[in-house]
Amino acid sequence: MAVLALNVSAQGRGAAPAGRAGGPPSARAAAPFDPTGYWVAIISEDWRWRMVTPAKGDVVSIPLSPEGLRVAEAWDPAKDEAAGEQCKAYGAAGLMRGPTRLHITWQDDNTLKIESDYGQQTRLLRFTGVSGASEAGRAGGAGAKTWQGVTTAQWVMAAGGGRGRGGARHGSIKSVTTQMRPGYLRKNGVPYSDRATMTEYWDLHTETNGDQYLVDTNVVDDPVYLQTPWITSLHFKKEKDGSKWDPSTCDARF
Amino acid sequence: MGSLNLRREVLAMRRIVFLAFGALAMSVPAFAQIELTGSYSPILYEDYIERGPGSDLGDFTGMPMTDEGRAKALLYTSNLPSTVERQCLAQAPWVLQYRPLGMRIWSEVDKDDKVVAWKIEGDYLRDTLTIWMDGRPEPSPNALSTAAGFSTGKWEGDTLTIHTTHVKTTWIRRGNGIPASDQTSYWVHITRHDDLLTVVTIQEDPFYLSEPHVVSRVFKFDPRANQGGRTICNTANEIPRLEDSGIVPHYLPGQNPEADFMMRTYNLPKEAALGYAESLYPEYRHKLKGVYTPPASCGRYCCGWIERQGLPGAAPGLSCNDGGLGTLNPVVRGKSSDSEGKETPAKK
Repeated sequence: MAVLALNVSAQGRGAAPAGRAGGPPSARAAAPFDPTGYWVAIISEDWRWRMVTPAKGDVVSIPLSPEGLRVAEAWDPAKDEAAGEQCKAYGAAGLMRGPTRLHITWQDDNTLKIESDYGQQTRLLRFTGVSGASEAGRAGGAGAKTWQGVTTAQWVMAAGGGRGRGGARHGSIKSVTTQMRPGYLRKNGVPYSDRATMTEYWDLHTETNGDQYLVDTNVVDDPVYLQTPWITSLHFKKEKDGSKWDPSTCDARF
Repeated sequence: MGSLNLRREVLAMRRIVFLAFGALAMSVPAFAQIELTGSYSPILYEDYIERGPGSDLGDFTGMPMTDEGRAKALLYTSNLPSTVERQCLAQAPWVLQYRPLGMRIWSEVDKDDKVVAWKIEGDYLRDTLTIWMDGRPEPSPNALSTAAGFSTGKWEGDTLTIHTTHVKTTWIRRGNGIPASDQTSYWVHITRHDDLLTVVTIQEDPFYLSEPHVVSRVFKFDPRANQGGRTICNTANEIPRLEDSGIVPHYLPGQNPEADFMMRTYNLPKEAALGYAESLYPEYRHKLKGVYTPPASCGRYCCGWIERQGLPGAAPGLSCNDGGLGTLNPVVRGKSSDSEGKETPAKK
């Protein structure tokens, strides 16, 4: 009976197991895969909307609400520049679809830092062991909203506590981002509001030739400008070093 | 005496715990998999034009093609799949990544209830996939190539990793002529997160791809997504004048009038439009800057498959909602905002 109960539990998916000392291990110690390093976005999908700025009003693929469409139609990059808001397309919900490299490091034992060379942005994934918008909201408090918002994260261990055949550990990251300053999902002014949330599932795939891909399954939900959550996935390939890191500033037009 | 009994009880309890955890550890591989069974809808929020109304001719953006692949792709005319012999060229095993239809997944088990294979139901342009989980080796390189290919799978945590070989000559993507040879192989990773299923395909082809072609898509669990079991590519003559004529519709090299379609329509440079691998990476923007200018306005598919709105086959939520006017009409498109964001009447 005990074994049965344990087996059922082993299929459940939750935060990383507790450490031997009684307290939970740090997110870095519990990591079932190593997300750190340099990663490059492969723009093999939606090339015309991700690599370059499409025409004003080209909102194809994005389930905009009538208000979202109205705002997209009114896009004016000159106004953004005049307002000092050239980074509107570089907020978290837009950044991840950009033509960027990512540099991922552990800022501390429970915070994963994701830097982009595209627009030189920094996201912080704070591992709390609890996931959800409410937690992200608590973490963010009533502070000012920012392009990258507040992100909480947790490791979701694979079946069997993350330990598969042969002892390898497996799992993924689930993160939730809130507290974002209003920005653009697409460079041509397709909007998201400050009420948007972004849920991401991060998986690592290692090929037999050693290539590694980081896949970000990405759900943006916005009650103001979207009719339904905008769900996409993004893939990044690991690079051996930072030799191709190429910082650029925010640009409202290109 | 009492302490001896206590020690025996402790030892016995330790043994039970040890055996219990040992049994658990051994049982983990059998349970180290996620239930994938069910029907899934494609989420068409990426590459919608390709997956909805269909690819533009000459649109090879996002592709890492070899010169040979590009040359062959530019021979393509949309009359080609109308010939009986070539109607099934779209029937690549993982073409589901580029199509608007749902899929159904189920497992087949042996007498001990152990999963022998996962099945992914096909549609009228794709054969049903069988992903063998019983550890059988791949067949000889000389074994028969089929529309579904030969696939083996293994669990890596909660991800089902699949290797597919022994495929037929097909097209890559939705079907505008990008060729794949029968030496194509795929690595595929299927991961379920809550109701979402992320499918990553990494396609290699020694002849027509200069590097692996990586695509990731998301599907959503949906009991109504099953499209039915039309798993055979039935052929029929669609152009009577071609029947028994021996004619293979094609453009001669250098004479495809759509070869520059993406360049003249969207101001894209040749390298991007025609699938040069360098265009897939961020550093390519250095070549674009100062050269690329966005089209003056959006003229095609701006809000999705608008002409299908409300009709069977329309992708829910993808068409522009224009405020209940029913179609993407000039009243909405013509509206503009003044400097304060207030709407002004459309100019005539």
